[in-house]
Amino acid sequence: MNKDFDVIVVGGGHNGLTTAAYLAKAGKKVLVLERRYLVGGAAVSEEIYPGFIYTVCSYVVSLLRPEVIQELELYKHGLHLLPTDSGFIPMENGDYLARYPDHARSLDEIRRHSLRDADVHDEFDNMLYEIAFAVKPILGYTPPNLTNPGLSGTQTLNRFRKHLQSLGKEKFHWFTKIMTMSVYDFLSEWFESDVLISSISLNGIIGTMLGIKSPGTAYVLLHHYMGELDGAYSAWASQKGGTGGVSEAIASAARSYGSEIRVNAPVKQVIVKNGRAIGVALENGDELYADIVVSGADPYVTFRKLVDEKDLPTELVESIDNFKFRGSSGKVNLSLDALPDFPAMKDKSLMQGGIYICPSTDFMEQAYDDAKYDDFSKRPFLECVIPTAVDPSMAPPGKHVMSIFVQWASYNMPKYGDRDQQREAFGNAVLDTLAEFCPNIKDLILHQQVLTPWDIEDSIGLTQGNIFGGELTLDQLFFFRPAIGWADYKTPIRNYYQCGSGTHPGGGITGGPGRLAALRILKDGA
Amino acid sequence: MAQELKGNNDVIVIGGGVNGLVAAAYLAKAGRKVLLLEKKDALGGIAVTEEFFPGSKFSSLVDGAGYFAPAVASDLKLHQHGLEIVPVDTIVYSLQPSGQNLLITQDVSATVEEIAKFSAEDARAYPKFVELLGKISAVVAGIMHMTPPDLPEIGWENLLNLRPLIKPVRKIGRVDFAEVLRVMPMPVADLLNEWFESEIVKGAIAASALLNTSLGPQEAGTGYNFLFNWAGSNNGFFRSSGNIVGGMGALSEALVNAAKKLGVELRSNSPIDKILVSNGIASGVELSSGDQYSAKAVVSATDLHTTFMKLVDPYYLDQTFVRHLENIKYRGTTARVHYVLTELPGFRAVNGEAQKLISGHLQISPTITYLQQAYDPVKYGRYSEDPYLDIFIPTLSDPSLSSDGAQLMSVTVKFMPYHLQDGKWDSTRDDLARLVTNKITEYAPGFEKLVKHQKVITPLDLERDYDLPEGNLTHGEMTLDQFMWMRPIPGYGQYRAPIKNLYLCSAATHPGGGITGINGKNAAREILKG
Repeated sequence: MNKDFDVIVVGGGHNGLTTAAYLAKAGKKVLVLERRYLVGGAAVSEEIYPGFIYTVCSYVVSLLRPEVIQELELYKHGLHLLPTDSGFIPMENGDYLARYPDHARSLDEIRRHSLRDADVHDEFDNMLYEIAFAVKPILGYTPPNLTNPGLSGTQTLNRFRKHLQSLGKEKFHWFTKIMTMSVYDFLSEWFESDVLISSISLNGIIGTMLGIKSPGTAYVLLHHYMGELDGAYSAWASQKGGTGGVSEAIASAARSYGSEIRVNAPVKQVIVKNGRAIGVALENGDELYADIVVSGADPYVTFRKLVDEKDLPTELVESIDNFKFRGSSGKVNLSLDALPDFPAMKDKSLMQGGIYICPSTDFMEQAYDDAKYDDFSKRPFLECVIPTAVDPSMAPPGKHVMSIFVQWASYNMPKYGDRDQQREAFGNAVLDTLAEFCPNIKDLILHQQVLTPWDIEDSIGLTQGNIFGGELTLDQLFFFRPAIGWADYKTPIRNYYQCGSGTHPGGGITGGPGRLAALRILKDGA
Repeated sequence: MAQELKGNNDVIVIGGGVNGLVAAAYLAKAGRKVLLLEKKDALGGIAVTEEFFPGSKFSSLVDGAGYFAPAVASDLKLHQHGLEIVPVDTIVYSLQPSGQNLLITQDVSATVEEIAKFSAEDARAYPKFVELLGKISAVVAGIMHMTPPDLPEIGWENLLNLRPLIKPVRKIGRVDFAEVLRVMPMPVADLLNEWFESEIVKGAIAASALLNTSLGPQEAGTGYNFLFNWAGSNNGFFRSSGNIVGGMGALSEALVNAAKKLGVELRSNSPIDKILVSNGIASGVELSSGDQYSAKAVVSATDLHTTFMKLVDPYYLDQTFVRHLENIKYRGTTARVHYVLTELPGFRAVNGEAQKLISGHLQISPTITYLQQAYDPVKYGRYSEDPYLDIFIPTLSDPSLSSDGAQLMSVTVKFMPYHLQDGKWDSTRDDLARLVTNKITEYAPGFEKLVKHQKVITPLDLERDYDLPEGNLTHGEMTLDQFMWMRPIPGYGQYRAPIKNLYLCSAATHPGGGITGINGKNAAREILKG
């Protein structure tokens, strides 16, 4: 069989592109095949309505690994991050909590809610910074195979052990706590102001079907916090022109190293011969051959759709069938006639940052409780960003776009009828909730796009609409991600690899899995 | 300190609960001179049988055969000192509103047939489930009997502590060991979802894993509690079965007899005011009476708040320790209701056979969703109108508990939060009793007419009458962040307090609550190391 490429990457999400870029940089002849008309997976910007550019799914960048930015020279390829480090949380009593780029001003604001919390805030931040700093190297480890570590696995386990020992007791204890506690309990050890706890806790529940009082969510807070360490922009940021620009930058880097990228090229199946991947069959009937095939899709697609069950051990099939996706996030994107008005917002510069509808911890927990029995939150948690407040180029002059990230919605919500009815009911709950804090919002809407978890599944290809390619729960991290024995980017099918968010270190626009998978492939001597 | 210290004890044990008695007995057995001081009149702590109504004796707080470690019972020869356990074949009888109840017994093939009534798939999965989980829970048994390593340090001392793990880990092999690591932090619901499809089957199996926690089945860490019960059940299944003759207090009596026989000096009605410390070393105790007793070591079997906030001078505690101490999560969610009944209740059953099957644990946990919904209100300081009830009728296996032939029934009620948002437990007591009676009546028509007497124990009563902070039966929640080297205080998982020669052995220590006696045994081992 003549090979067409050294490596074929299935799926042009940002991790697939990252793997492709690294491999091309190493001299491989690489092809990326993307099902849709554009690359980026969940990190895309699309002009859904003429003149209005939506960051359809992912809407903020904070976790992108600095080594990826540097090694792929992403700034040269168009990466342009705009800081969004202010935050505004309207409360039910008309008051608010704000976070400003100016630290002292933020502390004053916390002091307005609790003197004590303002006093301990820096100590808390410092503690979290230290834990994040301590854990960060682990994000760069290839997880060992626990059941058969071999020499390199044993070395990694030793590195892991030595690293944890080097933390010393106090930090190690904090590390244990953050790995096991609920984000609510973890924060309650430090703070008393309910709205402050609520505003920080939201980082613990994004992308999971868990509430702020569910054990395991403190880790998700840490996962998000780790992004706030790196690069010139030390906080959350958005890409100029929309999140798709990040994917474009990685794609541009990949192309510059010689990688080919084809869109509108859905892959039907990975061709496996004698237990070895030799190429892919496209939906259109074409077959392409390569030494190596890498899947950038999530674990369900990678193992249960792209390859045949008979080529996999039963235990792995069972593990993947048990892997928890449980998409829990939705998205509402709006075109607005003007900037919306939040009566509680005194300083209008806060419009440029995140606007969070999470007025109290009970609100947050109730939103989760509503949704967890096959439903959506009656009053969901919303994270609103108005990219046009920073980057007017994304909408016609004077007009705006608003991206609303929503927790929680179940993948199944049968009680509302068919999917169109479910989507409508869900969209209404989002806008009604937002209108409680932003009364004129409904009058300003020119267009709206509502995405439920299954819309995300249909459009982006993420199983059950899970934005992290699988939940970030304790039993699905590190050497369990996506399955015991197969967390090292390999698969039981020789020359078939995985590089999506369903592998370590997990979801978000990190490039981490993509980079580690590429390193693994190169190490294996491809 | 003019007063002369009395006695030449090697060890003073503070508190005569199960773990205090066990520690004292092990230390005496090793030749130490031991004095045990109990505040109250009666010994036994939460393992007590009380005559709430004349002629009617109840296991006040915990039912059945419990999870007492067989190793401890045999080391201390408790069976020679009066401990007698009546075996009960039933593991769980899960009552259903339809009367189509699910009976899980020690007979796996009979259980398979029962489960088949609800799901053929689940019936097929069950034997494999019992085999695998039974196998991996042996590792958890090893964990329970070890002294937790003082991570992240891994010195020789710590490695030696892991000895009880070596055999079970070697036996199950790496693949299954990886499975233990995966299951421990899981929610029990997720674990059961991997095996079963029937909500009813999952509800029956998950429920007992929640008895010692404040969490619902969908919360991470309940998987560990599930394995913990499995490891401690001593019958190869996920919860213990059987009944202690004479109630839970009989376990304490056997322990008292054993301790006496081994030479422990036991004194009740001896409340302690403080632990004496000289030059940073624990040297004895001072009683409320003013008497002081000296000892080479002091071991506290009371909860951590009493030990460190009442008995020890805060001068000896550093800031980090105090901070962790203040952050221990208690948040009890258990209440108890005891009934004296004129006759056995008529539980609804489609085959009419319920009366034959009610000698074991009866659960009102009809589905796993029901369990989660019973938990949800706790998060807002409320309790559910549809609580999970764990019902036991001890007189069926031990008629001696009732002198006049009446039937007794004890009910553990979950989830009843100590921290009640609207109101206080003392004014809520009658509502609670009514709620429980009505709920049982749904499953046993006419039940409310059988009630002769009832006794309600609220979470607040647990704190006031049984010295359990925030009504938590396990001296601290059994959650992942309060396990092993984090229990009772991060860095103090080895039964040692920050004060030299002061030791800890209550349920607040590893492996936690559940009346296992293992805390006392492990602590004695550490004390003997010196």
